[in-house]
Amino acid sequence: MDSITRRDSLAIGAGALATAGIGGRTAQAAIPVADVAPPKQPIEAGASLRVLRPSKFVDPDEVVFRANTQKFTAATGVPVRVDFVGWEDLRPQTAVTANTGAGPDIVVGWPNDPHLYYEKLLDMSELANYLGKKYGGWYFLAEKYGKRWKTNDWIAIPMGGTTGPCVYRESWVHEAGFDKIPNDLGQFLKLCQNLKKNGHPVGFALGNAVGDANGYCNWLLWAHNSFMIDEKGQVAINRKETIEALKYAKALYETFIPGTMSWGDPSNNKAYVAEEISLTQNGVSIYYQVKNDPKSAHIAADTNHAPMPFGLAGKDPSSALVLNAMVFKHTKFPNAAKEYLRFMMEAEQYDPWLTQCLGYWAQPLKAYAKSAVWTMDPKIAVYSDGCGHEYWEGYKGPINAAAGAVSANYVNVHMFAAVSAGQATPEEAMKEAERQAKRYYKA
Amino acid sequence: MTETADAGLADAVTERDVPTRLSWESRSRRVVTIYVPLICFLIILLFPFYWMGITAFKPDAELLDYKHNNPFFIQHVTLANIRKLLFETEYPRWLMTTMGVAVGATVLSLFSSVLAAYAIQRLRFRGSTTVGLLIYLAYLVPPSILFIPLATMVFQLGLFDSPFALVLTYPTFLIPFCTWLLIGYFKSIPYELEECALIDGATRLQILRRITLPLAVPGLISAGIFAFTLSWNEFIYALAFIQSSENKTVPVAILTELVTGDVYQWGALMAGSLLGSLPVAIFYSFFVEYYVSSLTGAVKE
Repeated sequence: MDSITRRDSLAIGAGALATAGIGGRTAQAAIPVADVAPPKQPIEAGASLRVLRPSKFVDPDEVVFRANTQKFTAATGVPVRVDFVGWEDLRPQTAVTANTGAGPDIVVGWPNDPHLYYEKLLDMSELANYLGKKYGGWYFLAEKYGKRWKTNDWIAIPMGGTTGPCVYRESWVHEAGFDKIPNDLGQFLKLCQNLKKNGHPVGFALGNAVGDANGYCNWLLWAHNSFMIDEKGQVAINRKETIEALKYAKALYETFIPGTMSWGDPSNNKAYVAEEISLTQNGVSIYYQVKNDPKSAHIAADTNHAPMPFGLAGKDPSSALVLNAMVFKHTKFPNAAKEYLRFMMEAEQYDPWLTQCLGYWAQPLKAYAKSAVWTMDPKIAVYSDGCGHEYWEGYKGPINAAAGAVSANYVNVHMFAAVSAGQATPEEAMKEAERQAKRYYKA
Repeated sequence: MTETADAGLADAVTERDVPTRLSWESRSRRVVTIYVPLICFLIILLFPFYWMGITAFKPDAELLDYKHNNPFFIQHVTLANIRKLLFETEYPRWLMTTMGVAVGATVLSLFSSVLAAYAIQRLRFRGSTTVGLLIYLAYLVPPSILFIPLATMVFQLGLFDSPFALVLTYPTFLIPFCTWLLIGYFKSIPYELEECALIDGATRLQILRRITLPLAVPGLISAGIFAFTLSWNEFIYALAFIQSSENKTVPVAILTELVTGDVYQWGALMAGSLLGSLPVAIFYSFFVEYYVSSLTGAVKE
């Protein structure tokens, strides 16, 4: 056996660090690190890995991810192949991987994927605890999505999260009589009404938009202290808070630009860039889209971000899309796979990646809040605590297949859309949503 | 007809080719009943291609701002989208992979379908009609149900993530389709021709090779076109069985590379679909006459 021992790999790792240090650090802040011994994961002899992850947001996302992977190969001699796949297409590929026991060793997937296939995944507790201790602890959502429901067993390593706060035109909001996005629901409605009156309507997706529509409708529900599922996993949408949320949504809808019923994820980007809307809810992509095109520089200068109103919730009532890395049991090289994830999450690799992703991804580990990315441009600072939000898919119930099915079938979105469009009364829409949700939770 | 042909012949041809105009057929009537519906039909059919075409050559700023730009025309033509597609992605490679997969799957399915269809239609063994039906039933099972079980098989055969996975799985929906097309076609070839050959001492395979197949060329071509188009456009198997980006087919690959989060690079996406549909269009244009004649039967008695 000539397998690399932990001591060896540490030595090699240290060597790689030294070379990386010489290679010049670009605007990198010091990440506070606790002195913790890494878990013992001797890499198997002849190991090689395959990794599947969602396609890039911005070019550096892919470039730096690949560069970090190459560093890992240089340090350990383990060849790693990384494949990128479209966001919508990652789900079926993860399903195939889980069900056939074939394909990649590591899938960096979507938040609830590990919870659907936990029986087929390696336990990551040791690694997660090490990372948590070293980097100041995991954020709330990272822990929620990383651990199996109601246990202390980590089934995945969260690598980042992205949120959809409010994106707005500062000058138009000023014109409407507000100096920032109000935190109160009534004031927010007033703002949107004034914006509409001034000829700058707002726009939130109400079509089948995976990110935007679910984000908007979950915000409506949670900001009114309502929820789809209770702690016991029972459907609990039928409550008076939901009715309040639906009535509010109807009033807010009056201030929208026409056509939001058919909006997909790219639609609000397009409308915002075309200066048709003054305010929407989105990831950082709109900002970079206008910032990178000289023709729309004036929009970028006038754009700012703020959390959506907390409303009655008292904390940010929205969730984050979390990148959740899982290692499948079918891998022949479990230690190599874990070492790879450890390597990628260590500050020497993770911080450059985080920084160059320009705020598209937010850190799951608290120490990275000190990363230079959040001071580069104060306008994107609101994205930094994405993983700290205390709401998740299927809130307040468990993260499971039923919760996934409810959001994949847009039960909540359809409820709000039906009331907004005037197709159903709040009571009817709520009953229908309850009926549909119960169907998924019964199965 | 050439101009050198003598007048008499030309007249005869014109008389034969142009249907005689009936007394109640006026010019305006023809316009309303033929040309207007035809134009509507063409507009509906060709508009998506037009949209694809102009989007591929439009700069992003124009694409996003309809207030100041007419959406139906291009103000400033740009080749940036095409350049991005061809030189910043592995598009040429995807095109080659897709071509290889489509040709392989088509050849394989045609070969199997010819044998199956001939056996079912001509040999009339016990249970041949049932077999025919069963083959058709296999066509009715949707790929979205089949892809996970098929993935298990593909993996056990060691073909996962290689183009052969697609070459071998596409026939699962191509063979039933082609077989049924060819059964119908073989039916239209008079059986007497084969009986004559049998009397002359030809074997079944000789009959298939020398008599039936040459007569069935239009049928083969139309089955081939169908098979080629279906495998060119196939999405879900290509998505499930292929994970490395260099082995992906065009429909899957352009989505992976050109959609980043919620930003769709429409220009390059449209350029990709446009270039991707060209080979199929060229393929069609070569064989369109055979294709039409195959729908009207093989041998006129």
